[in-house]
Amino acid sequence: MMARAPAILSCVLIAGLLTRADAANQAVTHVIVIEGVKFTPEVLTLKRGDWVQWINKDPFPHTATAKGVFDSHSIASGGTWKYRVRSVGDIDYVCTFHPNMVAKLHIEQ
Amino acid sequence: MKAAAALIVSLLGTSAAMTADLNDAQIAAIVVAADQVDIDAGKLAEHRAHRATVKSFAKQMVVDHGGVNKQAVALVTKLKVTPQDNPTSQTLTAGGADNIKNLKTLHGAAFDKAYVDHEVAYHQQAIDLIDASLIPSAQNAELKALLVAVRPAFVGHLQHAQQIQATLKP
Repeated sequence: MMARAPAILSCVLIAGLLTRADAANQAVTHVIVIEGVKFTPEVLTLKRGDWVQWINKDPFPHTATAKGVFDSHSIASGGTWKYRVRSVGDIDYVCTFHPNMVAKLHIEQ
Repeated sequence: MKAAAALIVSLLGTSAAMTADLNDAQIAAIVVAADQVDIDAGKLAEHRAHRATVKSFAKQMVVDHGGVNKQAVALVTKLKVTPQDNPTSQTLTAGGADNIKNLKTLHGAAFDKAYVDHEVAYHQQAIDLIDASLIPSAQNAELKALLVAVRPAFVGHLQHAQQIQATLKP
């Protein structure tokens, strides 16, 4: 009985790791292209735990900034930035360099 | 200030009428001149402007038009096209110099208003020039694609300038 305990514990731990790995595998990465002084898509629907990757295709820098939630700071031309969403609901964000660039993340459970 | 804005409208309007048969080398010179004019005005305004929003906008114009210019120069270098000076690029450069000369006589709120009014007029007319002359005349597909790609940046700048203009007293 005593000898079996570590084996059972190992199985439980491995199962736990697999569950975590499965959850990580289910997380999707969504791409938002910054081009022509615009975020595309302007509204992105995704699930909690998903990743968002912004790709800047303009010849000058931009940011993806939701005050108090996330801030990419300057994303250089040709550069990218990733953020993992951990809350549910809507997050409005802007480019702080170009305040007329506005977009939204719509995050579902 | 209105006179300066009217001047650039008139100059660009005249140049648009002169651009019926532009070749790619001439278009390249116009793109470089148009960017340089706004970079020069922005460099003056980022130091001289009174309001933080105007300073920030000016700084952005220097960065953005610098980026567009770098992309345009890289493309014409790749295409082995030497920008060819022409009446439109010369008019743009002369108009830019006149604007700088006028701005240097102004301070405070008067400077901000003159700079922003000019930015609104300049970007609107640059968009008209891109639509009416540059895109239709471009022969090389990559040059045409570059013009199509940078047009939204001019629209974005115009909207941003208009937003600031609305906050400045007449």
